[in-house]
Amino acid sequence: MSDTLGVARPRLDAPEKVTGATRFAADGYVHGLLHARPVLATEPHARIRGFDTDATLAVPGVVAVLSAADLPLAGTGTDRTSEPLAREEVVFAGQPVALVVAETEAAAEDGAELLVVDYEPLEAVVDVEAAMEPGAALARTVEDSDDEGGDLESVHGQVDKGQEDDAGEQLSGNVLDRVTREQGDVAAAFAASDAVVEATFRTPWVYQAYIEPQVCTAWLEPSGTLVVSTSTQGSFVTRRELARAFDLPLDRVRVIAEPLGGAFGGKFALVEPLAVGAALALQRPVRLVLTRSEDFAATNPASAQVTHLKVAARADGTLTAIEARMIVDRGTNAGWGVEGATSLLVAGPYRWQAHDLRGYGVQTNRFTFGAYRAPGAPTAAFALESLLDELARELDLDPIELRLKNAVVEGDVGVSGNPFPTIGAVEVLERLREHPLWAQRNSLPDGEAVGMAAGHWPGAMEPASAVCRVDADGTMTVVTSVADMSGVNSGFAVIAAAAFGLPPEQVRVVTADTASAPYAGASGGSKVTYTVGPAVIRAAEAAREKLLAAAAQELEIAPGDLEVVDGVVRAVGAPDRSMTVQEVASKALRFGGRYEPIEGHGGSAQTSGAPSVAAHLSHVRVDRQTGEVTVLRHVIAQDVGRALNPALVEGQMRGGAVQGIGWALFEQLDHDEDGRLLTGSFLDYAIPTAERVPEIDTLIVEVPAPDGPFGAKGIGEAPVVGAPAAVANAVARAAGTRLYELPMTPPRVWQALRS
Amino acid sequence: MPDTVTLLVNGEERSLEVEGRTLLVHALRDGLGLTGAHIGCDTSQCGACTVLLDGRAVKSCTVLAHQAEGRDVTTIEGLAPDGELHPIQRAFVEHHGLQCGFCTPGVILTAADLLSRGGSPSDEEIRHALRGNLCRCTGYQGIVESIRAVGAAS
Amino acid sequence: MIPAETRYARASDLDHALELLAEPDSKAIAGGQSLIPVMKLRIARPSLVVDISRLDLRGVEERDGEVHVGPLTTWNELIGAEVLQRPPLAAVAECARGIGDLQVRNLGTIGGSVVHADPASDMPAVLLALGARLRLRSPEGERALAVSDALVGPFTTTLEPDELVTDIAIPMPPHGSGSAYASVEHPASGFALAGAAALATPDGESVAVTGVGLTPFVLSGDLSDAEIFGDRFAPAEYRRALARVVADRALSAARERAKVNR
Repeated sequence: MSDTLGVARPRLDAPEKVTGATRFAADGYVHGLLHARPVLATEPHARIRGFDTDATLAVPGVVAVLSAADLPLAGTGTDRTSEPLAREEVVFAGQPVALVVAETEAAAEDGAELLVVDYEPLEAVVDVEAAMEPGAALARTVEDSDDEGGDLESVHGQVDKGQEDDAGEQLSGNVLDRVTREQGDVAAAFAASDAVVEATFRTPWVYQAYIEPQVCTAWLEPSGTLVVSTSTQGSFVTRRELARAFDLPLDRVRVIAEPLGGAFGGKFALVEPLAVGAALALQRPVRLVLTRSEDFAATNPASAQVTHLKVAARADGTLTAIEARMIVDRGTNAGWGVEGATSLLVAGPYRWQAHDLRGYGVQTNRFTFGAYRAPGAPTAAFALESLLDELARELDLDPIELRLKNAVVEGDVGVSGNPFPTIGAVEVLERLREHPLWAQRNSLPDGEAVGMAAGHWPGAMEPASAVCRVDADGTMTVVTSVADMSGVNSGFAVIAAAAFGLPPEQVRVVTADTASAPYAGASGGSKVTYTVGPAVIRAAEAAREKLLAAAAQELEIAPGDLEVVDGVVRAVGAPDRSMTVQEVASKALRFGGRYEPIEGHGGSAQTSGAPSVAAHLSHVRVDRQTGEVTVLRHVIAQDVGRALNPALVEGQMRGGAVQGIGWALFEQLDHDEDGRLLTGSFLDYAIPTAERVPEIDTLIVEVPAPDGPFGAKGIGEAPVVGAPAAVANAVARAAGTRLYELPMTPPRVWQALRS
Repeated sequence: MPDTVTLLVNGEERSLEVEGRTLLVHALRDGLGLTGAHIGCDTSQCGACTVLLDGRAVKSCTVLAHQAEGRDVTTIEGLAPDGELHPIQRAFVEHHGLQCGFCTPGVILTAADLLSRGGSPSDEEIRHALRGNLCRCTGYQGIVESIRAVGAAS
Repeated sequence: MIPAETRYARASDLDHALELLAEPDSKAIAGGQSLIPVMKLRIARPSLVVDISRLDLRGVEERDGEVHVGPLTTWNELIGAEVLQRPPLAAVAECARGIGDLQVRNLGTIGGSVVHADPASDMPAVLLALGARLRLRSPEGERALAVSDALVGPFTTTLEPDELVTDIAIPMPPHGSGSAYASVEHPASGFALAGAAALATPDGESVAVTGVGLTPFVLSGDLSDAEIFGDRFAPAEYRRALARVVADRALSAARERAKVNR
């Protein structure tokens, strides 16, 4: 086991992926396939009067034009699964209003171009703060009558909803949710503090920018089973959502989660209802592959947010009070929002004496908000960590020491009211402090600076199960339903190998579809390794019991006196008395065999969380003439519990840090004053390129999670959280002036330098 | 109306019917079943569809199939002989040059062009050469390390 | 995205190309790196694309005090041309290196870029600063046209629809000259938010800027009177300041190169 865990290994799927052998969801051949092209609303808020379909239907190859009324939808909800095409009210520019289905992609596009939609424009709600005012126009005039709609919040991680609303505040009907968390006398705590800082922070809508656009293929088997082959983070949740939307029995829907070309929170039942609706309506296989422009305009990016934050400390650096009013632009998502998460996470992994935290989820006519890696966390950390640096400056304290002084440890009660479980905040900050870059920070050329910031992600939980099966050749197959978003399958392989006693090379991992897979939740919230991992251990252990039972009979040694090492079952203390796993398995798996198959099922239902903390150093240069910011070097330290495969862990840390640099410097989905998207392509929306990001130094910190598989935690989200703030703190030092709005584009930095 | 074009794809002469407007990437994917060329954008930015045309990296979404008539096209499927890995492919496996793998074929073929120009490119040169290949997962470091390793070994 | 329906024809020689281009709404395609993207967006919808990419109009050659660049020369071929590495014309290779990306530079051509006339494209500024001239062919015959007279507006030139560029002539600056290109790019598109090319010769200096106006232009004065384009990402005020910065940087670099060349 010692040489199984903690060793850097290539991903299991790497050989297929480097040779182009992997079939992504857009790649499979389906007989008789039709292609769908969505027609997207050009108005941000409007009523659909009707369609003129004549020219479209005249295009050779066009089979049908479908509007909402043509899809066999059961519900009346307004979530994107229940209403994949706008019924009558368009609530954002980019919302799909019709599908053109044709024999070829080209014909579908030719047809879609000719479809005429007649809109009656309504007042668009674009300014999220104005939208909250009593009497503001409403972003949606038709009420959601279907209460069960849009239950996707559960897949994105557990954050409690806080206390009841403060009923005294007068707000418009656009405010869909208010979350309040109060404890202690905040006013008194501010008054008794030595330094108080406050500011308003703004962050834009940010796009997940997975490189594989959203795609789904749906068809009906002759038996009547609906098969859905799709790029999704969760096969079971997609099955549930589709069954609900189209009122189908669960067992008539089979969802296949194909290899994911990136997702980051954005791939949940958005395009599936469109392809399924068309396939059901036309009784033919239908594929919908969004173009990139459609993906930008019609999917579900991270919310824009406005955060008013005030924090205070005593002269010795002890944090006292925090007060936040956080406005989350949900766009048209009535089902859930991140106001609960962001107003909890804004307190960071720190102790406070008093807090007053409020979150508001507000609807506007912009997009449908969705999850993006650590939903609500980077925006919260940007505000908090910026102000912590301001406190450190005012009090003349070292920024890392200030954070260390207040970092939570296990048992500290957080603003959620619950004690923190095992958490590595102190260990991570101490490790970061040792990096040479921190020591160099005061001896850099003019225009350069190092900034630091921390962030955390609480993790998430959902029951899960797995199956381990040993074949007659002595290799093991692990079966789960998990969509492999971040390399989790490669983690399962070493987990199973370690728990069973096989070399990891002899373990493969299969993602089965909903017809046959053991249950697991969607990939998201940094919960897969933490929740499915223990199920894999138990499944491997159950298979091992079968193995030992059979080997005990063959070797005439009690199972308790046997061990499994490197694919060999042997007597403890007498390794000569042994059989290979292959020998045992081949005796079980044959006609007339006397032993049960070497196979096990395992489940888990975690009840304790395992938060992960990551802290960053960012070394930047600010060009005072042009406002350009260059990240010269970036360091991330993260508590990962246990690095099952350090190569993959570092990959998550680097990828997360670079996405954080994207938040900091490049990314914004910008609308014009009327609510039309201006940055809806990679020509306008910048994500980090190889040229614009530096090497990322990774410092792996291991504070084992008591209930994690071999101590491992979920690690995918934490690395993005503090990165924007670290860059912002570096820019503030290098430029001598702080920016309160992301991204810190050259024009904005230039403007800040001038004022 | 469809015309027939003949391309030399991965060393084999392949004829297929295309329209005047057919893009090379669609000809490869839909016409020849070579789905290793991926479509990640519609504005010629992402590079997921990169193939080699006469040995040089090009975005197959920004070439008409007709323009490739009679020319040598190498896709990710043809970079190495059957069942083997090209040194660049092997380096990407060993140096963790990929995560989701969607951008990977295009990145590898861009690297093949860069490395074919000789020498052992610096990190700066590698990163400059990757400007037309977007990756959202890796933060690029594994990619750069993979390419650097091949360059250093040559 | 798929272009609107079109027909394709490959020109066998220049005359054949001109003959094909007589069709209204036809469009010449060379590297396609500007044309195909706008065809995919269906902004350009030619009835016929005339493939001129296999015509013999490529290469870089120095003769009679001029450097002649074939319009079908790709960016990567420019980067590799020895004469464009030397100080007087170094701006050309320097600019080409920053254009698009490796894949685009393998196909994109200098001639295609000039006639596409994107107001933010880099190379036209270099050609303006260097005083380059185009040689044009049409069924009516040949003519020469200064680049400064060709570029008149965004995506607009004074070329006739049936005219093709057959040569780009750059006067070889005198001994002791240097040129340079500097720009700040839009972080997504890579196009210049402001770009400037400068030529410093013993006889004088010239600077041209791109990305900040309706078309690249030769600088006269300090830009305070120039009509500067602005948008939500980069307001006019910022672009004006940026244009000054890149103009200064290009000019300093050009002067440095001129020193080396003395």
